[in-house]
Amino acid sequence: MLGKLLKYEIKSTARVFLPIYGLIIALALLNKFFIANNTYVYSNSTNKAMQIAATVSMMTYVAFIVALFVVTLVVLIRRFYRNLLGDEGYLSFTLPVSIHSHIDSKLIVTFMWEALSLIVAGFSIFIMTINGNTMQSFSKFCMGISEVYEKYGPLAHQLTAEAIIFVILSMLACILQIYASIVIGNLSGKHKMLASFGVFIGFGIVQQIILSNVYGGRFGKNIMDGESFAYFMRTELISMIIFSLVFAAVFYFITDWMLRKKLNIE
Amino acid sequence: MDNIMECRNLVKYYPGCLALNSVSLAVPKGQIVGLLGPNGSGKTTLIKLMNGLLTPTSGEILINGMKPGVETKRIVSYLPERTYLNDWMDVKTMTDFFGDFYKDFRKDKAYEMLQRLGINPKDRLKTMSKGTKEKVQLILVMSREAELYVLDEPIGGVDPATRDYILNTIISNYSENATVIISTHLISDVEKILDGVIFINKGSIVLTSTVDDIRENEGKSVDALFREVFKC
Repeated sequence: MLGKLLKYEIKSTARVFLPIYGLIIALALLNKFFIANNTYVYSNSTNKAMQIAATVSMMTYVAFIVALFVVTLVVLIRRFYRNLLGDEGYLSFTLPVSIHSHIDSKLIVTFMWEALSLIVAGFSIFIMTINGNTMQSFSKFCMGISEVYEKYGPLAHQLTAEAIIFVILSMLACILQIYASIVIGNLSGKHKMLASFGVFIGFGIVQQIILSNVYGGRFGKNIMDGESFAYFMRTELISMIIFSLVFAAVFYFITDWMLRKKLNIE
Repeated sequence: MDNIMECRNLVKYYPGCLALNSVSLAVPKGQIVGLLGPNGSGKTTLIKLMNGLLTPTSGEILINGMKPGVETKRIVSYLPERTYLNDWMDVKTMTDFFGDFYKDFRKDKAYEMLQRLGINPKDRLKTMSKGTKEKVQLILVMSREAELYVLDEPIGGVDPATRDYILNTIISNYSENATVIISTHLISDVEKILDGVIFINKGSIVLTSTVDDIRENEGKSVDALFREVFKC
């Protein structure tokens, strides 16, 4: 059943994201065209109209990148709220599907779009900036990285793996924090959105208090060189991974429990 | 198990409002039962509890001997009193959706009814009128071969001609072992198809009876009895 939920979850959100992705790539290509033709460099030879077109195209591109991340957040909230706690909840919760599957499907698909949005944004920058020079410095950068890997082998690999796991887990924890805030905020009779926002801030404060108690002053204590910092980070990252895992699990549990026990669709 | 739905001392308390006050009730299999009561009497609360959309404050509700959950949702076909259709879908996607999630959904049946009511499967739900959406919803719900149909105000928003069609659809689509619970206040319209009635008021059951008993013992129609019991 999770597979079927995923299918409709993706269907319902793809129609928002795919057009934006397409437009961003198209605008990046257009910008690339203007950059390659030196339209942005002011000189008498360049065409005024082209310059205006180039500026508009670049500004639209930036606006779309900003919009992409706003939309990602809005869709995350709206889809969860509408499909589970709004009128559509009458259908969602009468499907022969467990509450877990509902949360999982929304979590997975939201994570997927967040990751894709980052990739598309990165790729569009790559399109615009690619030329002989940037390729050279990019390959230099890659060589530098492979040197580091050669020198520090296992340590570097472990650090990379830990960093990736940490980023993924904190993204998931953040999505779940929003879900938990929405289900708790939904308990309030009026001003559900405002209440959810307040709960979200509250969760944030609690997390900050816990983390600052654990990590407070630990990073600043001794100035380290790069290598011992890397060793230090290797262990610190593990504890940070554990923290995001715990936060994610707590938020998941709250969301699941609230939907199971306190469900109250208007 | 002879009862498809059973509640024992069922209480549902909302902050500042006792929606159901210790309701004990049993609905046997194979009947069409009217859940009748004035507005705010607890009809919808009871129905939401049957579907697991609410959890009881205390007491118990059993569907086919089970607490509401994934298993009971497989056998209950529920029509809520509001439109729950996903705006972004067209009718065809919606039938696919039902087909994907409910094993007992009969697509051919749904398409036949859609055609009969002149609804184009390609139409987007967003552009439909409220009445048309309600028709689509009822078609989807009645195209399942469920054991229990729970219909909350199925005829409230449609014209009298469609009302007849809907009631016919309900009678002709439910099999011998299936049970239909219909909540409504349009009693005279549904009276002719009901086997039994449950009168509910202010969260308590006022009366449960078969329609034949009412006619024989009281010598009046359900509609007349309702007007008498709930006289303002």
